[in-house]
Amino acid sequence: MKYMILTYASQVDYDGMAGKDTGKPAWSAEDFAAMGAFMQKFNDELSESGELVETRALAAPVLTRRLGSKDGASVVTDGPYAETQEVLAGYWIVECDSFDRATEIAGRLADTPAPESVRATAYADIRPIVEGQEDLAG
Amino acid sequence: MPEPASEELLRELAPQVLGALVRRYGHFDTAEDAVQEALVAATQQWPSEGRPDNPRAWLITVASRRLTDLLRSEQARRRREDTVAQWTMVPAEPVADSDDTLILLFLCCHPALSAASQIALTLRAVGGLTTAEIARGFMVPEATMTRRITRAKQSVRDSGARFSLPSNRVERLDAVLKVIYLIFTEGYASTTGPSLQRVEFAAEAIRLARLLHRLLPEDSEVAGLLALMLLTDARRPARTGPGGELIPMAEQDRSRWLTAEIAEGVELITKALPRGPVGPYQLQAAIAAVHDEAASAEETDWPQIVALYEVLLRITDNPMVALNHAVAVAMARGPAEGLQLLERIEGDERIAADHRLFAVRAHLLELTGDLAGARAAYVEAAARTTSLPQQRYLNAKAAAIAP
Repeated sequence: MKYMILTYASQVDYDGMAGKDTGKPAWSAEDFAAMGAFMQKFNDELSESGELVETRALAAPVLTRRLGSKDGASVVTDGPYAETQEVLAGYWIVECDSFDRATEIAGRLADTPAPESVRATAYADIRPIVEGQEDLAG
Repeated sequence: MPEPASEELLRELAPQVLGALVRRYGHFDTAEDAVQEALVAATQQWPSEGRPDNPRAWLITVASRRLTDLLRSEQARRRREDTVAQWTMVPAEPVADSDDTLILLFLCCHPALSAASQIALTLRAVGGLTTAEIARGFMVPEATMTRRITRAKQSVRDSGARFSLPSNRVERLDAVLKVIYLIFTEGYASTTGPSLQRVEFAAEAIRLARLLHRLLPEDSEVAGLLALMLLTDARRPARTGPGGELIPMAEQDRSRWLTAEIAEGVELITKALPRGPVGPYQLQAAIAAVHDEAASAEETDWPQIVALYEVLLRITDNPMVALNHAVAVAMARGPAEGLQLLERIEGDERIAADHRLFAVRAHLLELTGDLAGARAAYVEAAARTTSLPQQRYLNAKAAAIAP
């Protein structure tokens, strides 16, 4: 069974990672390096165990373009999120034996090195993936 | 104790075996599968049975047998489908092994393929990397890379390319050099992710360039490309700090540069330049050599670098070259002249939105003493790159300038 693990962050979180002054305690070079090393190891281990299907990090929310429509015409909005609004930051697709195993994998993300203020509010979601029409038809 | 099937030996032999097979039988795509199976057989059998006296001949024999099986079953399938099945047996011609690898490189860089496919196929067929390794390097799922490589092999087949040196050899060699350099730059300045350097790809590109240089020792651009990559790679240990942060060349600890790579690169380019004709890789290598031979940023022979960039600008229309030229002019003749040159480049839409343009302007403004302008330009540059390490570097530069 495949599961998607989703993590979230706000533009302020991204700015902090990029070394910008955000009012919150900034990410030091060590924090940033430790986060990179942790992610590398986390991904390598999932890849080794054969459970990793794919993983991606998303660029900062400010780089978002939202396509909508207004009065029947397409409208493009740049970076539609408030700075503090949390949006998808990255995801993993894992293929593993059970929901519990996927939860265990996602649980290890709690150890991601980061400044305390970031760690305190970080969370992840795990959602089963619908493989095909038959899953929906039940 | 039987000798192990060393990975290095297999990687060296893989393109030769594939080349020999394709030359004899054609069928690039099926031959590639057959060679992979022969390589797997070698890793399984050699450790227990001992390495054969002639590993290359052993691999060719096993791969040929496998290819024949694969083609027979394919033929049978086609016959069932009432299609005229035909696979040609090209009589083996006495061609040197080295030519096979060269032809294979030309085939992988076939103009019918996209750059991404050329790179993937070259890494797989000539580099001997597994699909999984290539997929990891490019951060795509393995299934995606498998499909990309399969499609590439089909395109080569559909193009009807014969296994021989192409008639437009000079043009095709340009494509081969470009592919190798793209593999190198992908490894050197990885465009995505938290890690700035993917060392394996850079090493693989250098290995391929060495191979090409051995096959075409008289070609001065091949020598130039190898020299350029060695001279650039020589700075790798000093290019990032302990936390993976970018360190610009002016601030690098030059004692950490790899002296053996510099010596080799300098020797290569020194021999290649007078032989001519002089092309862009030789000129870039010459510039890299001037940097690498300077004891410090201040002691760099900037006028010579300016002169080399001017020659380069005459033969290429590349805005990055123009940008680097402006930096060199600023270093040789002062930041004001550099900023004047930048104004001309800003109109080039290929680079007008690029963070590097803003980073250079920020740096030159800082040198002129326009700190407010410099600060704003650093912040602007940071906002224009998606690479977090680069953002961290540029934001730190902005923060270091007191408002």
